[in-house]
Amino acid sequence: MARILIPTPLRQFAEKNDNVEVAGATVGEVLTALTTRFPDLKKNLYNDEGKLRSFVNVYLNDEDIRYTGKEATAVTDADTLSIVPSIAGGAHVG
Amino acid sequence: MMHIERGPWREMVNHAQAVYPNECCGAMLGRIDGDNKTVSVAMVLDNVSQGSQAARYELRPEDLLKADREARARGLDMIGIYHSHPDCDAYFSETDLKNSCPWYSFVVMSVQKGTFNHANSWLPNAEQTHAEKEELTWPES
Repeated sequence: MARILIPTPLRQFAEKNDNVEVAGATVGEVLTALTTRFPDLKKNLYNDEGKLRSFVNVYLNDEDIRYTGKEATAVTDADTLSIVPSIAGGAHVG
Repeated sequence: MMHIERGPWREMVNHAQAVYPNECCGAMLGRIDGDNKTVSVAMVLDNVSQGSQAARYELRPEDLLKADREARARGLDMIGIYHSHPDCDAYFSETDLKNSCPWYSFVVMSVQKGTFNHANSWLPNAEQTHAEKEELTWPES
């Protein structure tokens, strides 16, 4: 089973685990298994249309899945997934 | 509420003043105990925003991944992100809100004419439509 690292603020929705192991052959399957096991995580990761929220990036080991096949990216038992936010901003308005 | 210890606070203020008139950004690590957050480590990160950085900042996701790994290695929690507003107040701007993540605290530091002036901490919601002010203290506050 692949390991998923849970960011600190989301551990409250994952029974306080800082990492969990779930089954799945692709990133999408692993994330589905994760949110099935911990349903409260789903609204933090996905929007109402069922897509990953705009600020959510998923890394397979050191690779951003946007460049490796997105949620269809293959996963093995040796892999670690990380949930990483996109963050930007600034004083400028507009 | 959030408290930032003396060491990381000095580092954050020095960072914000050093890059003035541009915006700085970084990560804050520490411990979370219920609603109480204590920042014990500040990680200076690169502002990779393209073009002028006087009113914009952007973090590399890879750097946030490193910050999360650093927190885990030290047995700490990733608490939030800091950035500066040169010659502006420490409000949470529309740009801040639209590019935020609801999981973390966002400390905004106002730097006026090159010198730290004041700071606020903000908690944005998941829809990126609103941010609540969070009580923030530091050694000289």
